Amino acid sequence: MSKNSHDSAHTHVAGTSEFVDDRPIMRGELFMDVVYSTHAHAKFTLDYSEALKDEDVVAVYTAADVHHNVWGTIFKDQPLIAKDVVQYAGEAVALVVAKTTVAAQYAKQKVKVNYQDLPAVLSINDAKKHNSYIADKRFIERGDIKSAFAKAKHTLSGEVVIQGHDHFYLESQVAIAYPLEDGQVEVHSSSQHPTETQHVVAHCLGLDAKDVVVQVKRMGGGFGGKESQAAPIAAMAALGAIKLNRPVRLCLTKDDDMVMTGKRNPFQNLYKVAFDDDGVIDGLEVELFSDGGAYADLSTSIMERAMLHSDNAYFIPNMKVAGQVCKTNHHPHTAFRGFGGPKGVATAEIIIEKIAHHLGLDPLEVRNKNVYRDEDGRNITHYNQIVKNNCLPKLFEKIEKDCHYKKRRSEITKFNQESDEFVKGLSITPVKFGISFTTRFLNQANAMVIIHLDSTLQIATGATEMGQGVNARICAMVTSEMGLERSHARVMPTRTDKNANTSPTAASSGTDLNGAAALLAVRKIKHRLSEFASLLLELPEARWPSKTAGLGTEAEIAIKTRNLDSNDPNEGADWKSGKATYFGVEFKDGVVTCKGRSINFPDLIREAYLSRVSLSDYAHYSIPGIEFNKLEGSGNAFLYFTQGVACSEVTLNRDTGEVKVDQVDILMDLGRPVNLDLDVGQVSGAFIQGMGWVTTENLVYNDQGYLLSHAPSTYKIPNIQDTPRVFNIELLENDENYANVRGTKAVGEPPLLLAISTWTAINNALTYLPTYKDSYPEVRIPATSENVLRAMAPQAFSKWSTP
Amino acid sequence: MRNQIVFYLNGKRHNVAGEQAGMMLADYLRYDQALTGTKVVCAEGDCGACSVLRYFPHVSGTDADNYIAINSCITPVATLDASSLLTVESLKDGDRLHEAQRSMVDSHGSQCGFCTPGFVMALTGLVEEKLSKKQKNISDKEAKNCLTGNLCRCTGYQAIIDAATKVDLKIEKTLKDRYYDKEQENALKEAYAKSVLVETPKFSFFAPKTMAEAVAYLDKNPDTRIIASSTDLGVVHNKRKIHLTKLLSLHLVDELYQISSTDKVRLGARVTMTEFRHFIKDKVPDIANYLDIFASPQIKNIATIVGNIANASPIGDTPPIFLALGANVLLHGKNGKRSLPMSEFFLDYRKTARASDEIITGLEFDLPGKNSSFKAFKNSNRKDLDISAMNMVIQVDWQDDQKEVVKEIRIAAGGIAATPLRLKKTEDTLRGQKIDQKLFEKICHDVHQEFTPLSDLRASSAYRRVLVENYLMRFFKQEVLA
Repeated sequence: MSKNSHDSAHTHVAGTSEFVDDRPIMRGELFMDVVYSTHAHAKFTLDYSEALKDEDVVAVYTAADVHHNVWGTIFKDQPLIAKDVVQYAGEAVALVVAKTTVAAQYAKQKVKVNYQDLPAVLSINDAKKHNSYIADKRFIERGDIKSAFAKAKHTLSGEVVIQGHDHFYLESQVAIAYPLEDGQVEVHSSSQHPTETQHVVAHCLGLDAKDVVVQVKRMGGGFGGKESQAAPIAAMAALGAIKLNRPVRLCLTKDDDMVMTGKRNPFQNLYKVAFDDDGVIDGLEVELFSDGGAYADLSTSIMERAMLHSDNAYFIPNMKVAGQVCKTNHHPHTAFRGFGGPKGVATAEIIIEKIAHHLGLDPLEVRNKNVYRDEDGRNITHYNQIVKNNCLPKLFEKIEKDCHYKKRRSEITKFNQESDEFVKGLSITPVKFGISFTTRFLNQANAMVIIHLDSTLQIATGATEMGQGVNARICAMVTSEMGLERSHARVMPTRTDKNANTSPTAASSGTDLNGAAALLAVRKIKHRLSEFASLLLELPEARWPSKTAGLGTEAEIAIKTRNLDSNDPNEGADWKSGKATYFGVEFKDGVVTCKGRSINFPDLIREAYLSRVSLSDYAHYSIPGIEFNKLEGSGNAFLYFTQGVACSEVTLNRDTGEVKVDQVDILMDLGRPVNLDLDVGQVSGAFIQGMGWVTTENLVYNDQGYLLSHAPSTYKIPNIQDTPRVFNIELLENDENYANVRGTKAVGEPPLLLAISTWTAINNALTYLPTYKDSYPEVRIPATSENVLRAMAPQAFSKWSTP
Repeated sequence: MRNQIVFYLNGKRHNVAGEQAGMMLADYLRYDQALTGTKVVCAEGDCGACSVLRYFPHVSGTDADNYIAINSCITPVATLDASSLLTVESLKDGDRLHEAQRSMVDSHGSQCGFCTPGFVMALTGLVEEKLSKKQKNISDKEAKNCLTGNLCRCTGYQAIIDAATKVDLKIEKTLKDRYYDKEQENALKEAYAKSVLVETPKFSFFAPKTMAEAVAYLDKNPDTRIIASSTDLGVVHNKRKIHLTKLLSLHLVDELYQISSTDKVRLGARVTMTEFRHFIKDKVPDIANYLDIFASPQIKNIATIVGNIANASPIGDTPPIFLALGANVLLHGKNGKRSLPMSEFFLDYRKTARASDEIITGLEFDLPGKNSSFKAFKNSNRKDLDISAMNMVIQVDWQDDQKEVVKEIRIAAGGIAATPLRLKKTEDTLRGQKIDQKLFEKICHDVHQEFTPLSDLRASSAYRRVLVENYLMRFFKQEVLA
């Protein structure tokens, strides 16, 4: 195993990594399934007498069985089980518990739900018509938008339609709840947010937090879909476990998971842009509308991030962004990698493309004209944060050269003149992704490090592992600080009885926050051990505690400074190695050295224990400098920005509209990676996931807002054959991110936004067709084959009056 | 007659009787055998997380004389009778990872790990094939083709492709060498030689040795379903829309594995898609190309061509091929055998001309001749492994090698009607005619009167109509107007 391998890689490939549903079935364990609404909005009554007749069915629970039937991350507005009225197709109305999974699945078909339909809102347009909104409209404004438009040489306006996006984590939502003595419950959940899961379980069941432990060993993918929406699943399982005093397992099928859980919010964004002959933008007005679904979930925060990313990488002197979440009768939409970012950025990028098309310029030229630059004050965002450590111009310059943009542009132009079967497009888009939770209090973490007597370490943090390798990174940071191999430590399952009040593993912040906390914790131990080693190594071995402790003949080696107190993971650390040194003691390759004398690390641990030096510690970390006034829409929303650019080349089939992504070149600034290989894995995975969002992933609903494409047979995430034939990923060397732990940069979400280049490339290809000589295609997200063919040949479709 | 299903799992003999025989293999592995390395994601054969390896040693001289990957989530244990099976737990040799595993670790082909065992198993299937052919390396293209049936949401696949191409074939032994010993061979041979009947009040499964027994059983038990590899029925069962309870399987009938081409091509009911592709790839390359984007390797390794025909889905991908080839369906019932043109086989939505006592034993057809053009089009939202929105297959037999005058033409399409459809009026218009721009424009206009497609979640009716026109246009542009 290479030093950069995922810490579970060897058990993943052997099939021995344990996921929740892999846990052995316990004696007496029962299986739960969820009966959910198939109507968008309706009063309902239930008849589950038939289900109870089945001898394998143990119980059916409804809203009446829930102690506090309400939960919600930001607003507590959602019932765990709907009572009397359902607000969306997929909303839980009853829980069936049976002796086997199969029995529960058949029993749930026997639960009769009688609906009395109520008017339903099933689109953003519907919501606007009925003033159906969640929370107030928010604004971010800078400059004088009116006068910008008044004096504008050119203006353009339009609407960007962006559909949703299913997470399609391979492991569907799942939880097992084990009742413990004295009314306690232990829940094993596939959750990005164990703390919230614990709180929701406790609240819904009327328990104290002290009586609920949530454990997350790992997830089979999360992508934001298990940030808030894992909690109700856990609470349902726990409800059964507490009521029946038997273990209860709730493992959703992929179909049910897709119908029940929320997606990336659909957006419909109106824009108006003012620019000059060179394509330099002077004014931009954007009005963002999102489909929040039936309950608030995280939609208001998602909207905020969309608003904060509507500039993407461009300095816009006069800008006004408005954001309104719509309340509809769809599943409550939720976090998904990038949060609101992709929806703001897609809007900005299509505006750039449209400006270029309008002026007959290459879109890359327009991007270069508008990109944030340190000169002339063109480095301040519309929310008044200075873009520090801005490498966007450098990224543009380098990718243009490296991917032979100009040459390929002229080849494509020639190709498009010659082919009647295919048309090609090329596009470069950037990303400048703000790193931090925009909600300040979430920017905190805690961690615990334990050194056992055999000198091996256990690390516990609030971070949850979902494939991104947060554990491998944290483990690497902690062990390298102590001069040990990574295999010397293990990151333990995330448990709320070890790390409480943690934030979700989200916003790309897992390593930033928890890595910093873990590093601070291990430094406390290191500080003590350093002082101890400096004293110990002055003594001859014969006087070491291991030789004398049992006798009591020597005075105990007493260290004076017991607690190091710091909130800065870079404090006292050598910038190059990332390691801190105390009392002149060096930890390297398993050996601890002071003034030329050495001791093996395990021996030091033994001596320290015998001298009653604490070998465990805990630390708390909070990100400094996050000062964003949400009401004014102004301030430092982010600690720093992760930046990158990507170039996509696509070929569209003119007979069918089919899209082939031929080549993708990605260039990113990820600071100084702790684990380059895992970072590259995040980049390629996020890009392909985003590519799916903008191309083949199509959520189709019926007229009750019931999702029809609820399985991989109908919902098409990218396949291995869709990976671009040429797929280059390069990282820019950047040693200058002093803001973050070890000079790293967060990587989880930003590369997903680079897939917007695939969408703009598709639109770019269409501009070569005669149809778009004077207009711009604006194919929506996703640009499915049908959407593309409709854009290519509107006249062929106009003959047929079907939807 | 046996009353137990017999198979080998990771080198150990399993005898299964009763309702257990009706369990999907994945459930049997996970919940009965505590072999939780095999994962279930979609339970419909679309993601490959449940991939295991199967060796069916009774069909000789074929491409599949190896352990090959199949989906365990949609395959009832009973249908794997007389097979040798391996799961991900079998790969490690002591502490040593199998090359497919080692390479996935070293190339970072695994992130969350949930899809990983499935990828590893599919890749191992390719390794087995490569080792048996004594080939030394795996190309990018081979890697992608072998892993088309596996979905990953974390890696973006690049690392997995890298892993596959970096497998060191020189240092790996075949699993066949490691697991398939004489004892197994004899036991499976013995099992294959006898018909099997598993009967409980809630579940029955009969697999006869001969067609005569099969026909007699079906006549006596008319509510029995004929099951091949369950790649469609298993899905419907898993979605709890049907319950597979009374089954008749033909997996022990030797003659049905035959594919021969002396005069006409005769293809037996147990011939898999993979076998058929192997047979046809040099004879009609276009069919092989079309089969490459249809379904997954795991499905094609076990699903039969005849199953796809019998299923009679209006968007099935093989019916248009055989309609265009002008194939006949071979049926065997209590009153004997008959041969029916496939164009008369599909009656209505999922309704066929097969009588309730009849079993499809195979297909018969002529290969396109020297003066024929043959082209298969398949459209789906995602190119590979996606159910078609619309498909079309065209065969034209030209008057002579000038390829100007149409002697015979068959145009078959799926996804535009309740059944796979021959566009007979259009064929009539073209038959005997010289193709020119004007005639071509006329058929593009008139063809729409022959069908009324639906709008559904895969495509709108309008999109399907435009595709029909565009495919016809592309065919004639390439064949004639060019």
